[in-house]
Amino acid sequence: MVRESDVCIIGGGITAAMLALKLSELRPELSITVVEAGKRLFDTENRMAYRQRSIEYAENPWPGDFIADQGAQGIISRTMAVGGSALHWGGTCNRFSEEDLRLHSMFGLYTDWPLEWAELEKFYCEAERRLGVSGEPSPFAEDRRSEPYPMAAMAMTHNLIELKKWAEQSGIPFQTTPQAKNTRAYGGRAKCIRCNTCTICPTGARYSPDYTFRRLLERRNFALDDQTLVRRLSLADGKAEVAAAQAVDYRKPEEPVEYRARIFALTSGYCWSPHLLLLSRAPRFPNGLANSSGLVGRYMCGHAFQSAMIEIDAGIYPGMNEQHGLISRQFFRVQDREHFVRHDLRVWESAAGHEPRLRSADGKILLGDSLLADWRRRAQKGTARVRGYYDVHPDRESSLTLDAAAKNRFGDPLPRIEHRLDAETEARRGFTREHFQQLFQKLAAANGKVLSTGAGNYLDHPAGGCRMGADAGSSVCDSYGQTHDHENLFVAGSPTLPNAGCTNGTLTFVALTLRTAERIGAQFPKR
Amino acid sequence: MLIRRRTILQWTGRLGGALGLGRVRVWAQAAGFPANQEDTLHALAAIVLPAELGAAGIDRTAEAFVSWVRGYRAGAEMDHGYGNTRLRAKGASPAPVYLRQLEALRPALASGGPDARREAVISALEQARIGELPRTPDGRHVAADLMAFYFRSSEANDRCYRAAIGRDLCRGLEGSEQAPAPLKGRA
Repeated sequence: MVRESDVCIIGGGITAAMLALKLSELRPELSITVVEAGKRLFDTENRMAYRQRSIEYAENPWPGDFIADQGAQGIISRTMAVGGSALHWGGTCNRFSEEDLRLHSMFGLYTDWPLEWAELEKFYCEAERRLGVSGEPSPFAEDRRSEPYPMAAMAMTHNLIELKKWAEQSGIPFQTTPQAKNTRAYGGRAKCIRCNTCTICPTGARYSPDYTFRRLLERRNFALDDQTLVRRLSLADGKAEVAAAQAVDYRKPEEPVEYRARIFALTSGYCWSPHLLLLSRAPRFPNGLANSSGLVGRYMCGHAFQSAMIEIDAGIYPGMNEQHGLISRQFFRVQDREHFVRHDLRVWESAAGHEPRLRSADGKILLGDSLLADWRRRAQKGTARVRGYYDVHPDRESSLTLDAAAKNRFGDPLPRIEHRLDAETEARRGFTREHFQQLFQKLAAANGKVLSTGAGNYLDHPAGGCRMGADAGSSVCDSYGQTHDHENLFVAGSPTLPNAGCTNGTLTFVALTLRTAERIGAQFPKR
Repeated sequence: MLIRRRTILQWTGRLGGALGLGRVRVWAQAAGFPANQEDTLHALAAIVLPAELGAAGIDRTAEAFVSWVRGYRAGAEMDHGYGNTRLRAKGASPAPVYLRQLEALRPALASGGPDARREAVISALEQARIGELPRTPDGRHVAADLMAFYFRSSEANDRCYRAAIGRDLCRGLEGSEQAPAPLKGRA
């Protein structure tokens, strides 16, 4: 079967939703097809029930949101469905800062992005409008915004008010974390009613891409082909132009599907976008499409993190709104390369250390009244959960490769991701750890006791694999995601990031995607 | 004469067992839980749940636990997590294990004094090597799971803090800047 459209978008997550939505507004005459390997989970009427089953039985709140034989070594989420990882998303919408785009020119480290901060900032504003972000301005001049947040910040709970008082005793300013959650009816979705389960928002108050896809499906020239895995891209004979995407519908695997389009856009995230390019070999591109630089699947990035649980003498009532927290952006800036440790600093309410327990400190079993008495005694103190995502830079060998030993049902090798940090980052490891230990002690100094500290064993908010750059020899695509090797092939969102900053990445992925949409729209002559 | 649902389920369970239909038996035991162990379950609840729930509250919690067991879906997908992700499914219904454990506890809980009852439960938990309160009932021991069912609940969280936090409820944003209201007449 052959399916033709003007634009074929491969991958059905938040990047695809934003790209398709903006393109459909810029160029309503274009036909757009989104192809997604996972299922549509559009049964919003069941979300409250799924939430309840998740609370009571620890069942998957998004049943059917994965493909059992389509996994990867080193991946941090198995979600594969229309909406992608943003179905489970907590909604945090932090911006990066200019330093993330200017690491080389400001500090002599790693690389710069081929993009000006002021340009990206415009698209941050648009991303916030489209997602519906509630937030308050940062107290730091460097974080100035050209537009206000579209919605007032989520109210601080009693717990957050107490935590802010506590945290600011250290002299570090905190604000509430901006989130794609409605503090009033917005975008056709309801106001948040504080269900405390944002990863399965039962009301739609937290933005989720499935709402955008349902709107798009009302258009006559938009198609969403779910449960369809794109296995290869193929080139036009003798040209560097992508002619088709070869796919298989899981429901009819015996009937291959071929997608033909003027423009192809990969929106499958940091894992599956480079994976598809590596699978798509051609005589002129024996190492995969868009890969004449050899950098597809290289410079895989993310941010590392350090965390602490700090017991504080404050009236904290765990469960008021556990997903809403505080952020300080003070450490986004550093003075020089010698003292380079950039990070965000986050604080949430927590019950850690004050949860009910079966055994007392001396190992005796507690039942009924004695268990409740023990719990109440320990619950007189509160806990602050503290975490800093910190900036680490990938080595070229931080890679996604094809794993010949692991194949899906169609015999395609699956991805293997192995992160590796560059030499400068490795050299800073001890200094970074010491910085965080001192910081946690500083927070605890006036009122508190550090109960535990820990370091993440994976890189969060992963990105990279098709990094952008001005030079075709050292990057896969330009700042619009247009690949250097194929004029009609774009990569959008997370894979294009050279580095993953030191805070949540989703808003940045979306902002870059909205910019990509403008460039794709401009590829078509005005009719 | 009306035949009680529980009796039918017991017959089904015995029939399934006689035919070697393990799954049928497990289903029957889950659907009919706690079968003839209802009194033992309520006696266990009186030991492992806080007395301040009152007799009615303890019975209500025991019945809610029964509903939980009956509503358990073996093989259901579990959340695959984030970070170190993996696909997992819920295990077999815990009902058969619970029934055996309740049967083992029955003599002590039916006839012993309060201290002996407590000791019997503690001994059973020690024998089962239960170290921590499970996050959600995990089928290792009915006493630990009944405690997890209650003490991990939003209701117990409120009771601990003597405040109407309503952790698992959808509560609206208004007023959340205030400390939760004290629990009325329950704590």
